[in-house]
Amino acid sequence: MSQETEEITVLETLDHLLDRGVVIAGEATISIADVDLLYLGLNVVLANVDALKRTGRR
Amino acid sequence: MKSVIIGAHLHRTDIEPEAAAIPVAGLFLSAIEVADDQPLGDRDLLLRVASARARLLDRATFIAIRYGFSVHTQQEAATKCVDRIDRWRELLSAHRDEVEMTLKVAASAPATRPDRHAFASGGDYLRALQRSARAVDADPSFRAAVERLLVPLAVRSRWLRETSSVELAMLVRRADLNRVRDAGEQLRSEFPAVPFLLSGPWPLEVFADDDHQ
Repeated sequence: MSQETEEITVLETLDHLLDRGVVIAGEATISIADVDLLYLGLNVVLANVDALKRTGRR
Repeated sequence: MKSVIIGAHLHRTDIEPEAAAIPVAGLFLSAIEVADDQPLGDRDLLLRVASARARLLDRATFIAIRYGFSVHTQQEAATKCVDRIDRWRELLSAHRDEVEMTLKVAASAPATRPDRHAFASGGDYLRALQRSARAVDADPSFRAAVERLLVPLAVRSRWLRETSSVELAMLVRRADLNRVRDAGEQLRSEFPAVPFLLSGPWPLEVFADDDHQ
């Protein structure tokens, strides 16, 4: 697996961990600085067509 | 110690030894135990939970709980989840052999995200955000191909829109995962210029929360 593909996979995994699933009432959404640095958002990656093309087929 | 909750499962054996199991009204919550002062935003903890989440899905389908829910006692977990237990049991029994897959594609014409500071209230802002997301769509020919190649393989599917991307969430039988991946490869060969990601399997995320959407 290339480094870029691996990075996309990690981003996608974090995207699901942080932004999907059942929200338990009263629990705060994580939005602290450490997570913001990690959680770049897959849309940023998707918007970069050239980067995606370089990753090749998954 | 506190327990960072990962998901809800039908059986204890679906969880252990990959994670700790917390019994809640006949179901079990999977959890990673950490020190009380461990910040939930800690990078290593996030990656540890993500890794455990993937290993748990290898064992059995479960309902994903969004990261950030932590408890100190079994009683606290039960109190916060009690209203959902019956629904979760029903879902877990119905979809034990299914998982989610997602296809994300950049919007053909991304919408401009509204500026929060231009709105007097949070409600107005959220409505504007929803309007801008609703206007987003994928390229029509690509979307038609997805409907032809992928959607028929799913037990259920749903298109989701954000301001810059469109996503198809699919509920897929585990036995059909390779067929879905093959369909994704065919889609890639038919649309080499369209950047998209077909990813999964994931636990029950989108389809676990139908009543709350």
